[in-house]
Amino acid sequence: MRTRKIMALAGATVLAAALTACGGGDDSGGGSGSGKTLDVLIGANTQYPEEFQAWQKSISDKFKAQTGATVKFETFATANDELTKIQTSVVAGSGPDVYAVGTTMTPTAYSTGAFVKMGDDEWKKIGGKDKFNPATLGISGPDENNQVGIPWVSRPFVMAYNTELLKAAGIDKPATTWDELTQQAKQLTKGDQHGLAIAYKDNFDPWKFVWGMSVQAGNPLVDGKTARLQDPTVQKAYQTYFGWLTNDKVVDPAAVGWTNPQALAAFAKGKTGYFMLTTTTATNSLEQGAVKGKWAFALLPTVPPGATTRPANGVEAASILSGDNLLVADYSKNKDLAFQYVKLITDPEVQLDYYQKFGNLPANASALQTLASDQRLAPVTEAAKKSVATPFTGGWSDIQLALTNVAVQSLPDLAKGSLSPAQIDSRIATAQKSAQSALDRAK
Amino acid sequence: MATQLLSRPEEKTERRARKVTERQRPLWLLAPGGILMVLVILIPLALALWISLIDLDQYTLRRWVEAPFIGLANYAESLDAGLLHSIWISVSFALIATIVTVPIGIAAALVTQNAYRGRGLVRAVFLIPYVLPSFVVATVWRTMLQPDGIVNSLLGQENSLWLSGSRSYWTLILVEIWAAWPFIYLMSLAALQSVDHEVHEASAVDGVTWWPKLIKVILPYLRGPVLLACLLATLNHINNFTLPFVLFGAPAPDNVNVMPMLVYVTSFQGLRFGLSAAMAVASLIIIAIPLFVYLRAVRLDVHEEGGKR
Amino acid sequence: MSANAEATRLLPRPMLVTLTVLLCAMVLVPISYIVLASLNSDVGVASGEFWPSSFSLESYRKIWTTADLSTGILNSIIVCGLTAIASALLGTTTAYVLVRYKFWGRLTILRGLVGLQSIPGTLMLLPVFVLFSSAGNYLGLTVVGTRWGLFVAYLTFALPFSTWVMVTYLRGLPRELEEAARTEGASTLVILWRIIMPLSLPAIVVAGIFAFLLGWNDVLFASVLTRPETHTAAVALQVFGASQEGGALPVYSQMMAAALVCAVPVVLLYLVFQRYLVGGLTAGGVK
Repeated sequence: MRTRKIMALAGATVLAAALTACGGGDDSGGGSGSGKTLDVLIGANTQYPEEFQAWQKSISDKFKAQTGATVKFETFATANDELTKIQTSVVAGSGPDVYAVGTTMTPTAYSTGAFVKMGDDEWKKIGGKDKFNPATLGISGPDENNQVGIPWVSRPFVMAYNTELLKAAGIDKPATTWDELTQQAKQLTKGDQHGLAIAYKDNFDPWKFVWGMSVQAGNPLVDGKTARLQDPTVQKAYQTYFGWLTNDKVVDPAAVGWTNPQALAAFAKGKTGYFMLTTTTATNSLEQGAVKGKWAFALLPTVPPGATTRPANGVEAASILSGDNLLVADYSKNKDLAFQYVKLITDPEVQLDYYQKFGNLPANASALQTLASDQRLAPVTEAAKKSVATPFTGGWSDIQLALTNVAVQSLPDLAKGSLSPAQIDSRIATAQKSAQSALDRAK
Repeated sequence: MATQLLSRPEEKTERRARKVTERQRPLWLLAPGGILMVLVILIPLALALWISLIDLDQYTLRRWVEAPFIGLANYAESLDAGLLHSIWISVSFALIATIVTVPIGIAAALVTQNAYRGRGLVRAVFLIPYVLPSFVVATVWRTMLQPDGIVNSLLGQENSLWLSGSRSYWTLILVEIWAAWPFIYLMSLAALQSVDHEVHEASAVDGVTWWPKLIKVILPYLRGPVLLACLLATLNHINNFTLPFVLFGAPAPDNVNVMPMLVYVTSFQGLRFGLSAAMAVASLIIIAIPLFVYLRAVRLDVHEEGGKR
Repeated sequence: MSANAEATRLLPRPMLVTLTVLLCAMVLVPISYIVLASLNSDVGVASGEFWPSSFSLESYRKIWTTADLSTGILNSIIVCGLTAIASALLGTTTAYVLVRYKFWGRLTILRGLVGLQSIPGTLMLLPVFVLFSSAGNYLGLTVVGTRWGLFVAYLTFALPFSTWVMVTYLRGLPRELEEAARTEGASTLVILWRIIMPLSLPAIVVAGIFAFLLGWNDVLFASVLTRPETHTAAVALQVFGASQEGGALPVYSQMMAAALVCAVPVVLLYLVFQRYLVGGLTAGGVK
């Protein structure tokens, strides 16, 4: 009994000691460059974890050679985690020096007022505004004089199609209008084949369709301080989107429960014509499936449903402006180091290297240009050029949530196989209300 | 020997105990726990209360000390935002889950009471649902309950929806039961161990069969701890955020929009901290009222109880 | 079968067996899915297989690089282990005072301890963070990002519950043992250490386990109060959740493998400590 007591005590002491041993804590050495650490918050990569760690190390080494300071990377798992991190850092006035923020979240980050606004001096420090693909600057700030986001990588959305299935159905090129797409999908649906793979249950996919169709029809969804969700264009968008499953029956009924990765897996089995919403990051997974070598990217349709050509005020929006921006924290004590880091990873070689390893397109214009010759990437680079920014307002995440909610609440009806316009209407009305109140509160 | 101790006249010891206790009360023993709880619970709670009275959102977060005071406006808005509906869902779900887990937990404790070969393993197996990180439990069940997941294939149903629609409420309850019953089991187990051997022997001597013995002799021992476990389990279910969040994602179907989800989404996705603090405080008050009524009704006074119940 | 075991048998044998089998099945069927999925490949699980088309330990190899699992598990064990010990000890001492002595405010404290359990974590997250980071900014005491900070947070949340477990148990302890010791001049601390704790080992183990699991399961506070070096396992596992978004096949199989790996330390701990759950009141345990 004695020995057991002693062992228990010893165990407890070891634990207590371990608690203090090399516990984290904030690290910001004095002096210039050397001995300093730059904290960078970046998204975790579960597809290529080892390569990602190697990349981080190589960047840190390069940075050390340039400036004498090391880069410490902190990863976040999901967009929500990053948002939480931003909030806690803003409240505490300390945290990472550089944030890699998704484009659709940049307006929200901007609204906290905690990030450095890029003036002429700052742009010069990172190599000049002109080195970026102009389209990527679209969501850096509400206007030219108030930009906080430095473009880093782009991930424009495109669709993927099964080249064999399309050829077998006699379709020589992928659809360029939504109506044409529905037509082709009907041709492709026979036996155990389906025309479209769509992730109805995904928390991020549905609103992109609605946004695309509405913008192409001339409705930017946010007009100054007014939310334009309760609009025939949005009605039509949802009807088309849901209609693929309920009326046209060109989607596998199981899609009601699919998230984007599951829709990807379904397409990868080789029995679906189109995979509706994807980026170059899916390349690797597609090559692993039965559809290997038999697929290609295509630009998403840019003509709204119910029309054969775009209306006068319609925008040729092939994709939302999607990718990552870099933001420098205002509270950072290492701003110059931060700009040097940004310069490093937005230079052509590093950008191209990042693309080769992880599939994210460069935001650097010259780097993007060299990729234009890759045939398979042609639709993607075109999508990058034809990307349109989502409205830049602090209330956008609420609006996005409201649009998604319409889809979520419609899932049970979708599963039953029928959804009436009246039901869609009432849900859109709810979305309009919450979107408008979000805009009302926006400053 | 224990029986001799316990049959000593209670009067003399009571009187002596009272004299002793009044003289040397080591109340200082309450200090460490007390200080910690004041620091880490009460002060942040006061802070949360303050946040619920100010307009704290993404725009004012940076200089939160200067955020404008708006009194009870957040509370008014929270009623509009579906707070009562969420609380109703949370409470009903928690009560049903607790009620169902009680017989399961007690049965498991009864079943592992006696030593047999492999009992240790069985006990460890029983503990697994509780030990698996709740995020993992939720993800696994989410995977299994997909329209084309294995639950549907095992039941032979094509594409029936578990995670959306009217069934999602029962799905939440089922998964919560699966993950949480070991809690009751552990409490019952500890309580069962406190049953004196003499009690068992006395019943054997009296020739009591298992069912009456269980009901009249054993279960009363469990009553106190199990009731406490129920109370705490219910509170845990009400506040459980991870399970519904990972199982259904946000935005969630209307009928599983439990209160912690609402608070989290409002605060960390909608960035309306003032509003979410008001929601949380309001729900805290709404839940605390019946809680304290219950606590007054149950005899918490433990001072006079020495020895067996 | 000895008379003792016969007497303490609570259920007839066939019922015992049926219930055990049912309960084990209820637990093990989903677990078997987890185990099988962890031995499958990510692609295989994504396509809905129950029985893997090919068995491989690939996932178990990959998880250590996909997520910083080894650091996470180590940190979790350290923080949760200390929380368990401290919580059980502090809970016992607090419960002892609450049970054995009368004083003004006793009932309020007892009720308050239960009431504190009803506070949702999502409410406390931002204020606790503000409190801890203010300590860093104004008192120069770095709390955020250290294991100590997390330990203090977990300890405080586990305390009310551990105290209550000990209260219900200590209620049932006969006073005579303590009285005897007191008449011999033993101080309170000695009584606690020598008499109360050995006698209430089952409850202490239960209180400790719960405190441990409270920290083990927590994601919210760990994600906010830690930095990469002090991540707990729960935060490390979040990375697998990330793979559900974005254009890639989710790493289901790795997630299952990681889940099992994370469950192992706790189950082991339980197996080690479970003998103390079979304590019960030792008849005549006066020293």
